[in-house]
Amino acid sequence: MFKYILRKLLALIPKLLVMSVILFFALELLPGDALSRTMPPDQYQALSEAQKVAAREALGLNAPPVIRYFRWLNQIFHGDFGYSASTGQNIGTMLAGRLPYTIELSFYGLLLATAVGLLLGFLSAVMKNTIVDYFCTTISVFGISLPEFFFGIVFIILFSVQLKWLPSGGRMPVGAHGFFSRVPYLVLPVMTMAISLTAALVRYTKNSMMDVMGKDYIKTARSKGLRETTVSFKHAFRNSLIPTMTLIVMRLPRLVGGSAVIEMVFNYPGIGNMALTAVNAGDIPVVMITTMTTGVMVLLSSTLVDIVTAMLDPRIRLG
Amino acid sequence: MQENDHILRVQDLKTDFKVGRRTVHAVNGVTFDVRRGKTLCIVGESGCGKSVTAHSIMQLLPPNGTIAGGTISYYTRDGACEILSNYKRSGPRMRAIRGKEISMIFQDPMSTLNPVYTVGSQIMEMLKKHEKVSKAEGKARIIRLLGELGIPNPEIRYDQYPHEFSGGMKQRIMIAIAMICNPTLLIADEPTTALDVTIQAQILDLIRKMQESYGTSVILITHNMGIVVEIADDVAVMYMGRIVEFGSVQQIFSHPVHPYTRALMRSVPVLGMNKDQELAVIEGTTPDASTVFTGCEFAERCECARPECFHRFPKDTEIEAGHRVRCLLYEEGGEENG
Amino acid sequence: MTIRKKTRNTSLAKRSWQKFIQNRMAILGLIGLVLIIAACLAAPLLTNYDPTLIDPSIRGLSPSREHLLGTDRLGRDIFARILYGGRWSIMIGVIAAMGANLLGAALGCIAGYYGGKVDSVLVSIQEMLSIFPGTLINMLCIGFMGKSVRNLLLIFTFTGWPGVMRIVRGRILSLKQEPYVESCRANGIGGMSIMFHHLLPNTLGPIIVNSTMNVAGYILSEAALSYLGLGVPDNVPTWGNIINAAKRLDIVQTLPMLWLAPAAAICLFVLSINFFGDGLRDALDPSSK
Repeated sequence: MFKYILRKLLALIPKLLVMSVILFFALELLPGDALSRTMPPDQYQALSEAQKVAAREALGLNAPPVIRYFRWLNQIFHGDFGYSASTGQNIGTMLAGRLPYTIELSFYGLLLATAVGLLLGFLSAVMKNTIVDYFCTTISVFGISLPEFFFGIVFIILFSVQLKWLPSGGRMPVGAHGFFSRVPYLVLPVMTMAISLTAALVRYTKNSMMDVMGKDYIKTARSKGLRETTVSFKHAFRNSLIPTMTLIVMRLPRLVGGSAVIEMVFNYPGIGNMALTAVNAGDIPVVMITTMTTGVMVLLSSTLVDIVTAMLDPRIRLG
Repeated sequence: MQENDHILRVQDLKTDFKVGRRTVHAVNGVTFDVRRGKTLCIVGESGCGKSVTAHSIMQLLPPNGTIAGGTISYYTRDGACEILSNYKRSGPRMRAIRGKEISMIFQDPMSTLNPVYTVGSQIMEMLKKHEKVSKAEGKARIIRLLGELGIPNPEIRYDQYPHEFSGGMKQRIMIAIAMICNPTLLIADEPTTALDVTIQAQILDLIRKMQESYGTSVILITHNMGIVVEIADDVAVMYMGRIVEFGSVQQIFSHPVHPYTRALMRSVPVLGMNKDQELAVIEGTTPDASTVFTGCEFAERCECARPECFHRFPKDTEIEAGHRVRCLLYEEGGEENG
Repeated sequence: MTIRKKTRNTSLAKRSWQKFIQNRMAILGLIGLVLIIAACLAAPLLTNYDPTLIDPSIRGLSPSREHLLGTDRLGRDIFARILYGGRWSIMIGVIAAMGANLLGAALGCIAGYYGGKVDSVLVSIQEMLSIFPGTLINMLCIGFMGKSVRNLLLIFTFTGWPGVMRIVRGRILSLKQEPYVESCRANGIGGMSIMFHHLLPNTLGPIIVNSTMNVAGYILSEAALSYLGLGVPDNVPTWGNIINAAKRLDIVQTLPMLWLAPAAAICLFVLSINFFGDGLRDALDPSSK
């Protein structure tokens, strides 16, 4: 198991490097002066032409791309992503302030979707052709067929405007601290975020369960005289999880990408919202770096899911 | 024969499958007994219902299959009679029988073991289900059995996963699962079909050895006549969901009467037979399972078929003590065809 | 042997069709699709209003006999906007799905058939592209290229191919092992010909199913992007763009039809597509009964 995790983590390195190369050259190819991205815009404005030339020389911007790439990589490791063209803020600082919010949102969304999706999928497979099954199937069909923001709007109207149970948006009350003051602000966005993945998981888990229930080892388990609940939970469910994990990995980008829409619906200050503002302000470097960041998030979380899959399946762990 | 000699008595068993809107009678009135400590072989081509019969006994039919009629009675060690066909598929009484009294080995060992659990824990699961044993005691017992089954390094193998075993070794594990609780009846559903020829003999030897050391009765399902002659005490020949001939291995092999049985025998190569001699082929193919018959199911392919065979169902006829045949040629008033 | 004559001698297409029409949900989906598309095409017959005509005198009306679903804040008839908007939404979905699937199928064929370096390069691009969240990539591209229907279609095509490519590549890889491909090669048939005449037709089933499902996916993506204000230009009525007008909470409450109606349209269409696609998948899958 340890060896497997190590191998997975090592495999991340080339992927991250490739991503950084893409990002570097994408930024290089952007029109405009590379120097302008290394300092706040007002500071850049204040420089004279001669000073700019000197600054370029001093910062090594005239060096060959390969050298600049490694220098840039080093900066990134120190959290220096350059400056936003529209707000003049340091992009690293912007990210540091917002990324945790998006991670929190996505993580709880993933957790909720997995828990509910697997449970409902399992139930609808075990109680096939009962009310429970029809209920779960209907939910999943609608969850797949409507845009996420629609659910966001409905939740706001229902829970926030009508019932007044939860706030309609934002992050936490002014001046408050701590996890518990955030919870009410998280409930609706997390629910909205989880819907589409939950719907997909219910469907997939059900199919996967039905598939496994037809396998020979289920017959073996039954031939041992085990209870039907033991057969379906211990023998079928665990096996049905393995392909389901692949689905989760495949859907991770969509989950994280959904945060852009959901953060806007709930006015939630995460990086999706940041990217949206940046696109509207024409601040392409910020959008690029944000997109990369979400890519890294997806990469790391899919590694995590892969490790969970390996824990479930000895053939992957030992193979 | 006395009731006590039997461990299992199947009477007029009918098993139906729902395929789409049609109903297929996969097993259509099958009657046979299994003698205590003996081996019954059920032979027939694929699709003749032999496997379905076995699954009906264990009530392990797929969801679209149901026992539509007949009784399956099981006689326990202390002589009590349990009517298995009355029990609910996964009810407590059936579950108490499965594994403890009757256990089963399946055809394809590559898919009968759960890939995510160690083989040891899969055997232990069976033992814990039916007997009160401590972990250490159980493990010792399992390792001893694995050793008896010819698995090298059983202590190490105990903690390994199915994918680390070869097909033959997996089938040994299956036998271990089936035998760990000392069942009185072992049903082996084509246990060697999916294995290499060399391994086949080893697995059959093991089954025989287990039978001898534990006094287990065995129902062995196969399409291989060579296996039958080696291992069987009694033989049931099945065709299209019915037993066409039933008898002891001597009766069937030295004096086969049903045209199907005889054709089956002639299609099997025998050691020492003339190289130039051609093997007989049974003409035609097995009809579709949903075909509706008005007479004997085999008539279409039978070389002795007479016009009435197509219009009248044959009845079981006992031609000798314990030797039954289902053919119009042997019915009262029927004349024997040389 | 004479018994054989009993087996029905039906072509694959006919059998697939028979399997399809036995699936009640699939037929329901097909009917839904036909009805919605027909209604959108027949929009001028069903409504007399111009979906883009701004009329300040009838702003924010509730549903009535004149305006079946009311009017929006600029006095445009919502019912008309939904019908005409459907034309745009469905067209965007269909063209994007076709573009992405054609590109993906071509790349999948090339990767699967030629293997080697070509394959590993294409696969790495595919892997890289599928790591990034589509919504953000689309936002980024729109930011670069500007809002227009053409740009949106281009972006959907160039970011949407990895899924199909993976499917087609996998199929080709397994088909390549088949003896008939070997015999084609032995007979001196060229690579291109083998690929397009012998391999591609065998992957058509999954491609058709995937394209169908993608139409739904792109309609949802377009809606999400338009809701963010980054989809199509404001003057093009699409279902997503109609909802975009309902961003503020007070509008959401006072004009529920503004977002409920287009959402219902999206839901019905996507549901129909999904049911239809599921039926198609079952019908075209030779391994299913």
